[in-house]
Amino acid sequence: MSSCGAVVGGVSLDRVDIAKEAVIQGVVHKDGKPAPIGYVRLHDANDEFTAEVPVSSLGEFRFFAAPGNWTLVALVPGATTRAEVSAELGQITDLDLLVA
Amino acid sequence: MSRNEVLVDAEWAIAHLADETVVFVEVDEDTAAYDTNHISGAVRLDWKSDLQDGTRRDFVSKEAFEALLGKKGILADHTVVLYGGNNNWFAAYAYWYFKLYGHKDVRLLDGGRKKWELEGRELVSDVVELPATTYVAQEQDLSIRAFRDDVIKAIGVQNLVDVRSPDEYAGRLLAPAHLPQEQSQVAGHIPTAANIPWSKTAAEDGSFKSDEELKAIYENAGVDFDKDTIAYCRIGERSAHSWFVLHELLGAKNVRNYDGSWTEYGSLVGVPVALGDEPGQA
Repeated sequence: MSSCGAVVGGVSLDRVDIAKEAVIQGVVHKDGKPAPIGYVRLHDANDEFTAEVPVSSLGEFRFFAAPGNWTLVALVPGATTRAEVSAELGQITDLDLLVA
Repeated sequence: MSRNEVLVDAEWAIAHLADETVVFVEVDEDTAAYDTNHISGAVRLDWKSDLQDGTRRDFVSKEAFEALLGKKGILADHTVVLYGGNNNWFAAYAYWYFKLYGHKDVRLLDGGRKKWELEGRELVSDVVELPATTYVAQEQDLSIRAFRDDVIKAIGVQNLVDVRSPDEYAGRLLAPAHLPQEQSQVAGHIPTAANIPWSKTAAEDGSFKSDEELKAIYENAGVDFDKDTIAYCRIGERSAHSWFVLHELLGAKNVRNYDGSWTEYGSLVGVPVALGDEPGQA
């Protein structure tokens, strides 16, 4: 049985069939540098929470969404930011989240 | 059961870090988290290697649980404070598991590792080994654990609470969106189950909402507190979080966690399954 646990930075794509996934990934930056401590939350089109990952030491995160519109919420100590993103099947959507 | 008997905040935790009657336990599935750092004095439990049988899909036996906690230096009369990542999912699962084996005083650190980190509180890398003890557990309290036949009998009769995200409930996703979506189970939910995602019960920092807010969330979603309740998710850890809310914070009677959850139900032959955003018919 595989766990539901979120891997720091997101699950590796090494053994994932990208053609069957709608991947959203990126890096959280704070004050111009990758944020080593933080969390990214994925909200659906109704702004309902869907998933969350802790960022890697390089600020990285990754989700395996369904095709459609999503909102990302980045939480770092003392600050948050939000960004809209659209995911497509078979595509990797990359974006940077900038937190002041 | 009142909130301050089952939940502690950071100030309480800091005041009890050196208290010999209290043991802090970090519970994760990602063991790298504890290796990197943890709350001072905390020991580690691994959701998978420590708490699962490893051969059969079931929990470790009473004897194995006694040996595990003895090795970790925990006594039956210790106050055990659990915390972890993933908004305390695995810590809540361990909380339910400790209750299953009859541990008297177990509590959650509100917000878990996330709130602690976001508040910039101290984490250390020193690994702690407490002196071994002889831990005595009780037989499993099956009044808080549901099995697949209980769930099938509960369709249309009891409160069934599906705590996964709306997209998993409707069948648009097969797993939480931080995981690849290719899964062996069919998509959907147990007919008549209400979708009350665990996330509705927690703030962004992972701490629980007030009792008044929590009660309103369940009542507004159609939960009848005069009926028995079964909570489920994908593998039983998010639903342990909701079991904690319903049974421990709100004091609802006869609330069980279905640890087989969707990875079992979604693989059963011949059982009814509902798709879409509505609960469906019995």
